[in-house]
Amino acid sequence: MTPALRQMWLFFCRDLAIARTYRTVFVVEIVEALFGAATFYYVARFVDSPELRHSLPQTGSYFAYSLIGFVFLDYLNAALDTFDHSLQEARDSGTLEHLLVTQTSLPIFMAGSALYPFVATTLRIAVYFVWSALLFGLPLRSANWLSVLVVLIASLLAFSGLGILSASYLLLFKRGNPAKWFILGITSIIGGSLFPVSILPDWLQVIARFNPVTYALDGTRAALLIGASLATLWRSVAILLLFAAVLLPFSMSVFAWAVRRTKATGTLSHS
Amino acid sequence: MSRPAIAIEALDKSFPPARGGWRAFLQPFEKPSIAALSNVDLQVREGEVVALLGTNGAGKSTLLRIIATLLLPTGGRASVAGHDVVTHSRQVRRHIGYHPGTDHGLYPRLSARANLLFFGRLNHLTKDAAHNRLQALAQQFALGELLDRQVRTLSTGTVQRLSLARALLHQPRVLLLDEPTRSLDVVAAAEFRHFLKSQILKTGATSILFASHTLPEVEMLADRIAVIDSGRLLACDTLAALLQRTAAANLEEAFLRLTGRRRDPGAEASIA
Repeated sequence: MTPALRQMWLFFCRDLAIARTYRTVFVVEIVEALFGAATFYYVARFVDSPELRHSLPQTGSYFAYSLIGFVFLDYLNAALDTFDHSLQEARDSGTLEHLLVTQTSLPIFMAGSALYPFVATTLRIAVYFVWSALLFGLPLRSANWLSVLVVLIASLLAFSGLGILSASYLLLFKRGNPAKWFILGITSIIGGSLFPVSILPDWLQVIARFNPVTYALDGTRAALLIGASLATLWRSVAILLLFAAVLLPFSMSVFAWAVRRTKATGTLSHS
Repeated sequence: MSRPAIAIEALDKSFPPARGGWRAFLQPFEKPSIAALSNVDLQVREGEVVALLGTNGAGKSTLLRIIATLLLPTGGRASVAGHDVVTHSRQVRRHIGYHPGTDHGLYPRLSARANLLFFGRLNHLTKDAAHNRLQALAQQFALGELLDRQVRTLSTGTVQRLSLARALLHQPRVLLLDEPTRSLDVVAAAEFRHFLKSQILKTGATSILFASHTLPEVEMLADRIAVIDSGRLLACDTLAALLQRTAAANLEEAFLRLTGRRRDPGAEASIA
């Protein structure tokens, strides 16, 4: 294991050890997932109709469509939230400066601190799917799990750049998460999370084509509901990786600049 | 002649003015105009202990934070073990231990052991080396049975010792202490000083630069005393030399004469 990977693993173990001291949270989240799945199931039963099914891009019920949209937003939320959350927590607890005088770089700290939240979110989503499949008939028998994994990783890489931009904003201005607000706001309308993009006005459908979430959601649904293979999903994955290739280096350089600025202005540990 | 542990040359540091309201959005882009350090020259030799003595806001913490690579200087240069703090900050961090004298900065829900191992391993100690160092430091710091308790259940004094143990885990050549006994009671502060003197300084392997407002602490620990006022280094010498230079009877008087401050006759003498 390289020193950087070992350090990232240490951050994961740290967060896991802290999370284990709040054991009731695990139980609460399992129950919460049951309530969430039940809510989507009954809303879907209420609004489902042959016309609605006809307008959905993948075969399946509105329950499957909306649940996948919702849990994907949870993933997106984790990608956007985790970087500035870990930064803010370290700053508020006073550990940030102690971490920065170790032989750990800030990017490793950020990446390492993101690992546990991503794994925890993945597990939370898995619990949603387990409840939904066991109790509400979510059709996952034909899911192509390799495709799901690849689409999710490509999505995480694409959206992490936005999360890092958000952390840069937090470093400089101390409060707020405009990237999260903007992306989640846009995504809830044109991302196709709870209703298909095809029902939007033409001009919004054009904008939706430039939104990585649209491709990520289409890919995830296709992999989960109709078992789409990687050969079928290559276009969505390639577009997500293209977003990642542009956003990650750009966000890292903005972040490095923000760190230099806060070290110059003496506001690195200010909240 | 051996390389100095810390070398500071013509160091300047200025901060942008603090802004409120909507102008706060411009602060990251403001030019630095408020001087915190001006043209500071200082060297700390291998195994030497230098105290930074000054009033609140004199620039002591700013200087320590620049050496700890947490702040960028505006001008001049500073190096640790020959490594520049700006251009080779990672190499600098290999050689320093930093203890800001607060009881924050540890994970309250983790045990003392887990905290120390985490920070030790971030400093590239192997698992075995981290465990061995932990055992040795736990003995030195009398942390023994407290190691497996969550940090949130420990007293302020214990957390301070823990924080110092963290700074020493990777056996740094340079120790930077910012008012290390600030939040300790009289007994804990005395124990802390005794520990520094008997466990750290006796080996002569560690150089220490520390800021303090406590004159007995400065007299007890420091080989030389650097007097800073309004960001300027006014003097850096042994206690005897400072007393001789200012014709003062004690350190407090020497400090007041060097900084041109007068003691309020009605008040208790205190630099802090």
